[in-house]
This record gives sequence, C-alpha cells and structure tokens, in this order.
Amino acid sequence: MPLNEQSALYQQIAKMLEDGILRGIYREEEQVPSTNELARSLHINPATAAKGINELVEQGILYKRRGIGMFVSPGAVQAITAKRRAAFYEQFILPLVAEASSLGLTGTELAAMLEQAAKKKEETT
Amino acid sequence: MKTLCAQNLCKSYGGTKALRDVTLTLEPGHIYGLLGRNGAGKTTLLKAFTAQIPLTTGTLTYGGEPVWENEKALSELCLGRELSSRLGNSENALKVKDYLRAGRLFYAHWDEAYARQLVQRFGLNPRKTIGQLSKGMLSMLSITMALASRAPLTFLDEPVAGLDMVAREEFYKLLLEEFTASGRTFVVSTHILEEAAPVFDRVLVLKEGQLIEDCETDALLAQFCAVSGREDVVDAACAGYTPLHVETMGRQKCCTLRTPAADIAARGLDVDVTPLALHQVFVALCGGEVEP
Repeated sequence: MPLNEQSALYQQIAKMLEDGILRGIYREEEQVPSTNELARSLHINPATAAKGINELVEQGILYKRRGIGMFVSPGAVQAITAKRRAAFYEQFILPLVAEASSLGLTGTELAAMLEQAAKKKEETT
Repeated sequence: MKTLCAQNLCKSYGGTKALRDVTLTLEPGHIYGLLGRNGAGKTTLLKAFTAQIPLTTGTLTYGGEPVWENEKALSELCLGRELSSRLGNSENALKVKDYLRAGRLFYAHWDEAYARQLVQRFGLNPRKTIGQLSKGMLSMLSITMALASRAPLTFLDEPVAGLDMVAREEFYKLLLEEFTASGRTFVVSTHILEEAAPVFDRVLVLKEGQLIEDCETDALLAQFCAVSGREDVVDAACAGYTPLHVETMGRQKCCTLRTPAADIAARGLDVDVTPLALHQVFVALCGGEVEP
C-alpha cells in the first residue's frame, strides 16, 4: 500500500480499510486484520493502526467481538457510501471547479466535460 | 512494566554541556524515536539512561529505584550500541559468540533461542571476531544483542546506521514483531527518519543537549504545515504567524509554520497548505543548530 504524506497515517489506515470494504476484500460480518497484523505488514506502530481502526468503530463501520477481533458491521458498505457521498461535493467538486476557474473554463464548458466523461464511463461499464 | 524517570539530568564533559536539564518519563508500551542532530546529545542520553556514564547532576530512577549501581534495574535496561571493529590501536578480537555470551550473563530476561534465531536470520558467523565484521554486520550484531536481551526497556543507538535498505526494512519488521508480541518499550535513535517515522508512536527531540520535544508523533506533526503559493497571497495567509523557515523562488514562496494546517486553510486563500512529514518537522526544529 502506498502511504503518502497528505493526511495523518491513522486516517490513511482507516481509508485503506474502507476501500477494502467497498472492494469486497472484507465483506460485512467478516473479520478485518488485527492491529498487530496491520502493524507488521505495513511497518507502522500498532498504536497508529489501532487509532485508524477505532475511528471506524466510532463510525459504526467496524465492531468489536470481544476476545476475537474486529468485524465489518452489517450495512458498512452503505454507511461508507453515504459518508463519502456527503463529502463528495467538498472533496471533489469544489477543487474541480477551482481548477476549472483558474484555467478560465466556464460552468457550461465544465458541465459539458462532466457529461462527456459520465457517458464514456457508462459505455465502458 | 516499570517506568524510567529522569529528572534534571545534566552531563558535562569538561566545559562542554552534553545534556542540559533533561526531564522525562519513559512509559511502558511505546516505541520512542530519539531525534537530534550530530552532537545533540543522543548517545550521551542513552548512556546516562543505562548508567554507563555518571551524571553531573540529576536523578534517574527505574520503577522508583535509583538506576546507578543497581544491578537489578540494569539487568532490565539494555543499550544496543554501535560496535567498533577496532579497540584502540588493534583489531577487536572478541568473537561474536563471546560477545553474545556477555548478554546471557548480564540481562535477566536474555533469550538464547531468540539470539540464535537472529544470528541465523542475519547470517552472522558466531566464530568470527568483531574486528572481522563489516559495518552492516556490526549493526546486526548489536541489534541481536538488544533484541535478544528481552530487556523490558531497550535502547537502540543508531541501529540501522550501517545497514542497506533491505536490511533496514528487515530491522523495522523485527522490531515491530517483537514489540507487538512482547510490549517491551523501545527507544530508537536514527537519522533516517523517512523510514522510521511510522514506527515511532512518540518522539523525543534533543537540541544542543536540551529536550525540546516529548510528544506523540501524530500530535507533533499536526502542529506544523507548509504554505506555498504566490508571495503576496502566502504572506496574507500566514499573517500573524512567524514562519520557521521561508523559501522563495521568483514570486513563489513557501513558509513552514508551527500552526495547524486547518487554521491556515480556514482563511480560504489561494495557497497550498500541506502537512509536514517527520523529517521536515525535524529540519524545521533543528535546522538552525550549528554543527559542533
């Protein structure tokens, strides 16, 4: 996994687990890697891994089975999707519009490009 | 597990003050990174922690008891130090197996099987003398001693200094395996921060013998950011804060601030606000220091 320096390490761990859930690497009601497994395979401090996992526990995406480990909550895929949709405007649209505007692209031109890209994506999938 | 408490440690060598009033507590269950420029006092501090040098002033306790000349406390504290292939004017003729035997005698929790396993993993020849080892092999031997000591509090002084990239990765893997399995406390000094940063959950920064940071790694990183963009906009974005470091290139300007990124981003100006990595924070904190 490539770790970048643009966000705190524990947030990257949380995002990596979320991506794994969305991709079906970890299915609902299945166990995710333990803090120690993450620490050993990613060469990070277990406390950092635990912080990332705890963030997802707080959001109800993971839950703890006492004495066994961490599991993906039922409805986790939907929860992650809803959360990312809510952040989509701020995380993707606003920077997109800022970049378009600094290049002198109008709203109409941008909308046309989005339309074109969406159509292309629909055709390929 | 016990706590090591250092209060107002001072160490002078002649007129040189190597440690100035260092006060800190090493809590069990962490991997501490000990950072500092060359000559900042890292090795002196680690030697002081393990009572290998007398303190000028200050007190040092382990589990509430003084460390100095306390055989029981010292059998639980291990300093894996850089080995030298030479002793004075001659080659160090001590054999690898005899060096490790000293560990067996000295450390209460010494694990012989683990030591053998590490010797094998590193491909060390126990019959060779220390003087015959390469720089990388010397590092591996001192890592073997430190890990196999199973000392509840283990200090590693520049453990990766002689190691290549592959061996350094192997070392951090071993360290994390041992840490997750045992919960022992480690203090590791290194200059190669890019690789080590994710392993440290706390960092200690020494500057000219003074402890200037003692903090969770995440919390320290969150205090800094870099702001870059057009000079006048960067100045507006940083107004009211004193930059630690400024770089300009034409109208392009980049300021390093000890201010959370969110505070600058909240001003909504057309600048890039990026967090710093540990090695960048280190340069920002210690960059002004003159090399002795």
